[in-house]
Amino acid sequence: MSGLEREIAFTLNGKATVTAADPVRRLADVLRRDLGLTGTKIGCDAGDCGACTVLLDGAQVCACMTPVAQVAGREVVTVEGLAAGGKLSALQEAFHLHGAAQCGICTPGMLMAAASLLRRNEAPDEGEIRDALGGVLCRCTGYSKIVEAVMGVVSPGGNLLKDPGVGEAVGARVPKTDGLALLDGGAIFGADRAPEDALWLRAVRSPHASATFTLGPFDNLHAKWPGLVKVLTAADVTGNNGFGIYPDIKDQPVLAVGEVRFRGEAVVALVGDYGAVHGIRDEDVPIAYEPRVPVVGLDAALGAGARQLHQAYPGNILAHGLVKKGDAAAALAASDIVVEGAFETGFVEHAYIEPEAGWARRRGGRIEVASSTQSPYMDRDEVAQIIGIAPDAVRIIPTACGGGFGGKLDIAVQPLVALAAWVLDRPVRCTYTRIESMASTTKRHPSRIKARFGCTQDGLLTAHTFDGDFDTGAYVSWGLTVKDRVPVHSTGPYHVPAVLANARGVFTNAPPSGAFRGFGVPQASIAHEALMDGMAERIGMDPLEFRHKNVIRTGQATATGQVLEASCGLAACLDELRPHWRKARADSAAFNARANGAARRGAGIACCWYGCGNTSMSNPSTMHVGVAPDGAVTLYSGAQDIGQGTNTTMVQCVADALGIEMSGVGLVWGDTGLTADAGKSSASRQAYVSGNAAKRAGEDLRRQILRLANVGEDARIEFGSGRLIVRDGDAVREIGLSTLTPLRAGDVLVGEGTFDPPTSPLDGNGQGAPYATYGFAAQMAEVEVDMELGLVRVRRVVAAHDVGRAINPTQVEGQIQGGIAQGLGFALMEEFIPGRTENLHDYLIPTIGDMPEIEVILVEDPEPTGPWGAKGVGEHALIPTAPAIFGAIYAATGARMTRAPAMPDRVRAAILAAKEGAA
Amino acid sequence: MEQMRYEAPDTVDAAVALLVGAGGETRILAGGTDLLVQLRAEWIEPDLILDVKKIPELTEISKENGGFRIGAAVTGAELGEHLGVKKAWPGVVEAVELIGSVQIQSRATMGGNLCNASPAADSVPALIAAGATAAIAGPNGRREIPVEDVGTGPGRTCLAKGEIVTSIFLPSRPAHSGDAYLRFIPRTEMDIAVVGAGVSLTLDGGGKCSAARVALGAVAERALLVDAAARALIGTPVDDAALDNLAKAASAAARPIDDKRGTKEYRIKVSGVLARRAAQAALERARQS
Repeated sequence: MSGLEREIAFTLNGKATVTAADPVRRLADVLRRDLGLTGTKIGCDAGDCGACTVLLDGAQVCACMTPVAQVAGREVVTVEGLAAGGKLSALQEAFHLHGAAQCGICTPGMLMAAASLLRRNEAPDEGEIRDALGGVLCRCTGYSKIVEAVMGVVSPGGNLLKDPGVGEAVGARVPKTDGLALLDGGAIFGADRAPEDALWLRAVRSPHASATFTLGPFDNLHAKWPGLVKVLTAADVTGNNGFGIYPDIKDQPVLAVGEVRFRGEAVVALVGDYGAVHGIRDEDVPIAYEPRVPVVGLDAALGAGARQLHQAYPGNILAHGLVKKGDAAAALAASDIVVEGAFETGFVEHAYIEPEAGWARRRGGRIEVASSTQSPYMDRDEVAQIIGIAPDAVRIIPTACGGGFGGKLDIAVQPLVALAAWVLDRPVRCTYTRIESMASTTKRHPSRIKARFGCTQDGLLTAHTFDGDFDTGAYVSWGLTVKDRVPVHSTGPYHVPAVLANARGVFTNAPPSGAFRGFGVPQASIAHEALMDGMAERIGMDPLEFRHKNVIRTGQATATGQVLEASCGLAACLDELRPHWRKARADSAAFNARANGAARRGAGIACCWYGCGNTSMSNPSTMHVGVAPDGAVTLYSGAQDIGQGTNTTMVQCVADALGIEMSGVGLVWGDTGLTADAGKSSASRQAYVSGNAAKRAGEDLRRQILRLANVGEDARIEFGSGRLIVRDGDAVREIGLSTLTPLRAGDVLVGEGTFDPPTSPLDGNGQGAPYATYGFAAQMAEVEVDMELGLVRVRRVVAAHDVGRAINPTQVEGQIQGGIAQGLGFALMEEFIPGRTENLHDYLIPTIGDMPEIEVILVEDPEPTGPWGAKGVGEHALIPTAPAIFGAIYAATGARMTRAPAMPDRVRAAILAAKEGAA
Repeated sequence: MEQMRYEAPDTVDAAVALLVGAGGETRILAGGTDLLVQLRAEWIEPDLILDVKKIPELTEISKENGGFRIGAAVTGAELGEHLGVKKAWPGVVEAVELIGSVQIQSRATMGGNLCNASPAADSVPALIAAGATAAIAGPNGRREIPVEDVGTGPGRTCLAKGEIVTSIFLPSRPAHSGDAYLRFIPRTEMDIAVVGAGVSLTLDGGGKCSAARVALGAVAERALLVDAAARALIGTPVDDAALDNLAKAASAAARPIDDKRGTKEYRIKVSGVLARRAAQAALERARQS
């Protein structure tokens, strides 16, 4: 698209501005690329997500839907215009104090929407706030803390900003240490910056799910588009043209070689100036496809004579996971009660609001890659083997990450920009469009599950069998982890004496299924929780009490034979839910007794457990804390903050371990050139694993200082300008820092801490100790169902989570509220269909209006190996939500949903089927 | 590369002249909420973009013959703030306010919603039920047609080359009458209708329905005026029996497709449920007016 430029004059953040632009260019693009105001984010370029919301004459508009000509003579305010005189507005302050910004990518849009409301209504109520913010999607927070923050502007209350003293950081509701940049447009995300002279890169992707193809020649394309510098193909890959999560499986090509296996697979990459790279249509690139009938779905892949996606995997079976404890068949046969069920779930998209983006620059024999990621060191090793250079010749500089949820564990733009920059020796940048992001990146595995449980007449579980097939898409990605995680967790958080659990990964011509919050466990939890309800109903027991009787307790063995030694707080979670549960059941019964319209209500309950850290493998984290000659203390943390707040919790840990105030700890994060490998931000591991490493690093530094000062354990440490002051009782020691020898990154004192959770490998029967600790949760949902339309609205969720110890309760609540939002989407509306739902208006994620009231209850049953007792919460937050909602639908309607998402037409059909069954 | 022309005339005559004179493909820009997505996706590559927001006639709401003439480029937000229209035709305003998010409301227009000709357009069934007409200007002068005749299929209208919709006329609202629009979506907001139902009805002195119009959206290639559903109400006290007949007639008229938002069978069922509920809401309004 190109037009004739003209001058457009308008007021921008209070200043008269004139810019020359094509009149129909989008305001968002002009603000970002021409005027340098990258605080306005682009999440979808289609008016669906609201991330680009700005004020136009005071009203909120999507800057991506506003042709720049139409702002002529008018007033535009962006997030950069909210603060005045270097002081944040009351609204921005409130967002900071309430933890309303997690990853921060929707924050500018949320702030502008709220600012528009507050301009015309100084004291809005909660309903008005929800209405005003309804056009901005958030994938992290579940919207709770955002609404709280706007309420907090209207009626400030409490001292939310607790400035903790020495030794008080852990457990304090401190705001994000790096949070201010998320509120004024200052945080730099993947698409926000690149070297001035960077070329643009755009991948051309297959429109076919399965095809062979031939390429070129590209001469005509170059002739027509002088701005096109290079068409990057598989032949240009200097190292190994393959990537993948596991060190020995690099099956997904960076650029396809003669064959594509899913719609959205990268075939070539156009590199050149912006106009050329974005002006060339895919159809004009000489790629001759020979489409084939794709293998779609499990039946097609497993059927006799199905085409094999990969020669190395006969029968399209990636792998088979097994957990076998005792004789489950015999135990089932001997059980008083046996229940069984079959369940299905579809592809689910992460739908982070920040599409993948980044840039790369070659520096001689080295390369730097800046991008949005969850795993800098994994990116480093991957880029190195693709280019064919040593890992330490690659430097990954993570940008702020606008949401990940597992989807940014796999590489996306990184190998493309790195290769192009390497080959051309020029900086290269790439920003995925929303459609490209959704079409080409990983998904949650669709599942098809059959499960059985047996119990005694008294309600004690006896046995469990499980068979699950998981559609792993076209490439391996995290498929092996899913087939391991699922059978380990398929009993649910209950003590079951005999278990036989099988899970398989199956290849199909779909986008690769990878890591998504829970690695298959959320799918399995729909099965085990439905069957818990089934058994409770058969023996006439309350579903909560049935679960309470069976929850795994300290001293009991899991399905893998691991005896849990501590921190099994699920019974306590259920105890916390009990009064809410009884009231909810009574309330819905009373409502239904009165109801004469189409609405019926019900309550459901579900439990989960989830092992923290990688399954049965070493997954260490290393942290450093250094003291510079000038007395500045810096934490070097490689634990990537993807919005969950790791940058803050790590500083909290170091402050208390070292014995100084949080404000005295500076932070360098993510950059592989400056920080050690802390492992991935995945598997609910950073608070537990890296929290321990940070604690140990702080303790190590403290030990060194005390030894240097020759003082006792209780001494107080202070850092002055160029010196260290240590007080022990009345004794005061001062140590000059400038004369000490620099050790690392210019620091003269360096503490180091490493933690690797103790696990053991699983044997042939899946027996062993795959995780050092498990987190637990129980959630309760109340729903209202329109019996005629099958429409489900969740009215309330109460979530009780055993997190061991909440290092930062505000952040823990934020994780849980956000997880519940994703769980609600998984339960009721989210299903990715290749080619059909590659945008945010056909792929629905919960809006602010879909979210119920959420009450979070934190249970702290300390984990002895965790930092101050802490363990993970990131994935647990999401797992029980869908089964709790399904239980509530059953209570309301008598229809048991066995397929997620429970779209209204499916709920309506299930209600009709249940009525027929009853008749 | 082709150059795309952008023009922003300030009169209808100038706009028509530009459209008539243009070679190749032309597109009207009002709020841009559909157009910019189509341009971005390269579904369209027009030679001329005609911005109509500078034409006063298209951006005003005026009273006319007891009804309201609403400029085609009036935004949803502006319409929602117009107390007169809101009082007379609450169902139409409700429908327009369902188009997109708050941000989209600040941009989107009824004229755009009508002329984009999506079968699922929210405002269209409500306008049809209200008996609205569209004013069209073109090289051969001006004409006024029922709104149900504007859209002819997905993305297609009856407009000839050089023609634009300048305004929509909502007639004077009869005594004891009410209208309502209901949309069904799986999410609470910002979604495309699975089914939309608009009903407008008038009661006589005895409380019987003397006139009615029923329209459905998203269940055919364009919004449908369902006469059989209206006939099910006329002459009745709009009791359960009449509402049942209305629902049956609405379901019978629906000819939806299967898609991810709902099966064909389900959408047929929902058409009846929604038409019935919209009629009940319209009835309440008629009784209170």
